[in-house]
Amino acid sequence: MGKKIKSVEDLNAIRDGARKGLDLRVSAREMQVTVHMGTCGIAAGAREVLLAIASELGEEGSSKVLLRQAGCAGLCDREPMITVVDKSGVEYRYGKLDGAKAREIVREHILGGRPVAALLIR
Amino acid sequence: MRDLSLHILDLIENSIRAGASIISISVSQDPARDLMEISVEDNGRGLSVPTDVATDPFYTTKEGKRVGLGLSLLREAAERAGGKLTTGKSELGGAAVVATMRLSHLDRSPLGDLAATISSIVCTRPELDLRCRLLNGKRERVVRVSDESRRLGAGERCGLTLARIVAERIREGIAGMGFVE
Repeated sequence: MGKKIKSVEDLNAIRDGARKGLDLRVSAREMQVTVHMGTCGIAAGAREVLLAIASELGEEGSSKVLLRQAGCAGLCDREPMITVVDKSGVEYRYGKLDGAKAREIVREHILGGRPVAALLIR
Repeated sequence: MRDLSLHILDLIENSIRAGASIISISVSQDPARDLMEISVEDNGRGLSVPTDVATDPFYTTKEGKRVGLGLSLLREAAERAGGKLTTGKSELGGAAVVATMRLSHLDRSPLGDLAATISSIVCTRPELDLRCRLLNGKRERVVRVSDESRRLGAGERCGLTLARIVAERIREGIAGMGFVE
């Protein structure tokens, strides 16, 4: 359980701390890719999505991207989901993925810089 | 969940969320006793509630959530196959989750791709001390990620190569065990 938030200052301090951590992690690499691996994600195929992304990135791509796992993002019916945060901090959420779609996102967006509009969650 | 390897992945995610740095996974089959057992133990924060509360689908430790389905689904899979799920304290210091099933039960979930489960963790969290123990009667095989990591040496830039090697070791181990699917 985190510290109780009692004022706007407390909230700002938490925001700044989180942003600092994020900056550190993102600035060292170009992009951050999070695969949501809650129970819902795993049941829907998140493992295959994660392994597809890792293999499509390969050793070289992996050094430019921070690939991580997180829990449920709250949209269980859209799983498997990934969140991509690009260099400028813009967040993209992709849903209802499978291995082939995940590979397409790696080629087009993560390595190519062009978001795949058809797979984005709206 | 389609198979037991996905339940195991879900349990490992729970361990990671509980702050574990050591996670020990065990899969054993004992045809003589018609028993299959899977267990995941860790050195994380541990479970503060008894099994019947932990496996209640409306119990969760996550803030802002009202359901926690992982353990309840595994309990259901175990009971469906004539077994049970128990939770408790691990010798590692954290939680221990053990699911038993009748090996020959028609409704027992298949093991599935355990190598994919372990490698999916290794490729994003190569620093975790993951131990995977396979048992079939007297045959035993242990794959430790930290051993493979040491063998690979400092030239390793990310977890991908390590994940591939660990997956191979687990596949070899399972092939050598003579497990029934």
